[in-house]
Amino acid sequence: MNDSPKRRTWAAILVLPLALYLVIFLVVPFINIIVLSFYTYSPTRIWVPELTSANYAALADGTFLTVLLRTLRLGLVCTAICALLGYPVAYFLARSERRVATIGLFLLVTPLMVSAVIRTFGWLVILGRRGLINSALTALGLDRLPLLYNETAVVIGLVNVFLPFMVLPLMASIERINPALEEAARNLGATWFGMFRRVILPLSRPGLISGCLLVYSAAISAFVIPVLMGGARVRVVGRLIYDQLLISYQWPNASAIATLLVIVTTSLSFVALAITRRTARQEQGT
Amino acid sequence: MNRRMPPPLKALALLIYLLLLAPLAIVVAVSFGASPNFDFPPTDLTLRWYRAFFANGEFVSAFFKVSLVLGLAAAVLACALGIVAATALVRFRFRGREALEAFFLAPLFIPEILFGAALYLTYARLGIKPSMTSLLLGHVVICVPFVIRNVMAGLVGLDPRLEEAAMSLGASRLQAFVKVALPLIRSSVLSGFIFAFIISFSDINLALFITGPNSTTLPVFIFNLLLFEGDPSVAAASTLQIVIIGLLIWLVQRLFQPRTLV
Repeated sequence: MNDSPKRRTWAAILVLPLALYLVIFLVVPFINIIVLSFYTYSPTRIWVPELTSANYAALADGTFLTVLLRTLRLGLVCTAICALLGYPVAYFLARSERRVATIGLFLLVTPLMVSAVIRTFGWLVILGRRGLINSALTALGLDRLPLLYNETAVVIGLVNVFLPFMVLPLMASIERINPALEEAARNLGATWFGMFRRVILPLSRPGLISGCLLVYSAAISAFVIPVLMGGARVRVVGRLIYDQLLISYQWPNASAIATLLVIVTTSLSFVALAITRRTARQEQGT
Repeated sequence: MNRRMPPPLKALALLIYLLLLAPLAIVVAVSFGASPNFDFPPTDLTLRWYRAFFANGEFVSAFFKVSLVLGLAAAVLACALGIVAATALVRFRFRGREALEAFFLAPLFIPEILFGAALYLTYARLGIKPSMTSLLLGHVVICVPFVIRNVMAGLVGLDPRLEEAAMSLGASRLQAFVKVALPLIRSSVLSGFIFAFIISFSDINLALFITGPNSTTLPVFIFNLLLFEGDPSVAAASTLQIVIIGLLIWLVQRLFQPRTLV
């Protein structure tokens, strides 16, 4: 049921300031890069307003595809590891007593909120040439290992930073599963793992899907972690956009890459949102 | 309420927590260590990196004059815009309400690095120089969803008849909202404010693109130092940031169960 016209006017007045603000500072910038992505690159003036599809055609180039595939691959590996590590933590949080869960949630959300730079910094100290692990190795008379500036290091960093994105929706999903179902499965003779596989895993699928999509879209657009932990060797799309914008001034090309990436990530995220909503609605219905 | 959680599962969860928290713990430990080379474990305890941090004018200004001010300003603006909009979304029924809610939450789903790039290009095209104000305007966009979510969650749980009662006793709609509803949802509003502050305070993706001579934020300053191997005063500043954020999250938890974070 909609409100009366008078109340609808009120609602419009109340939402207008924020809607206008987001149109100016969010929608316009993205329209701007979409437009720029169709403009022609000019070495002297950065861009000239002549429409072309050359910037998108240039994306078929081998170097870009290598970077893109690497980014998507790293995102996939990171998502899979997050799912694997996310389940034990999410189950633990969902099924432990309130006091433990509160502390656990605090220890999950605080790292999530601390700047990614600082968390990456911690890994640099652990994995660096003179870092924790290498000092231990030299103390034992062993050779130093090149732990940083490779894809493994980037995956470690990404998993560490984005794991909470997996745990939170998973936890919410597992909390909604009636514990009586677990008891029933156990009473009927299932092992704990058998119960997990047949009860928790299928019933928490909406949480898993939305966690995976969130982690994946965050991982493929990461910048700080690949730059600090992967160095020049592990170039990803986020870094490519940054370099093209601020170092080589290839604005139309960078806009094309950004447009492509924004379409992929926002559609993934909206799918995640839709899944969460649908589950919530189904539960309200029952 | 122990539901027979298998001990190996608990152990595994704790191990994962250890890995999650290790980098933060290391940063804190290094900030108190005497060695300038980030040696771990620290041999001697010292506060000299904190002194070094406070002696570095640029560093202190990035922390207190830029990041802290920016975070507070962004939180105030995001609350001003967000509370009003969230009220309309919860208390009124109109066509396109769900679409509008999705639009208001959209910044959550757009990678910040891409938003930063888009904002940078737009400012550059309009000839707007990077400054604290131009960064602030961007930060408000990424902070608003947190205010919307928290305030909406608070209002949904509040009986609208309380406001109706106030209005039947002669209060105007605005008075009823400010004097009845707002005090009752103050913990949700405060949670939204705190999250908005933290999002701005620890943002690097927007700040990397929109950084000017006097608007270098703390995360950007730390990032630049890390690229060129700084000394442990970076760890000292980072520790201060961790402590501030930890205290704020703890406060939010006291106010409100933050189940709607992501």
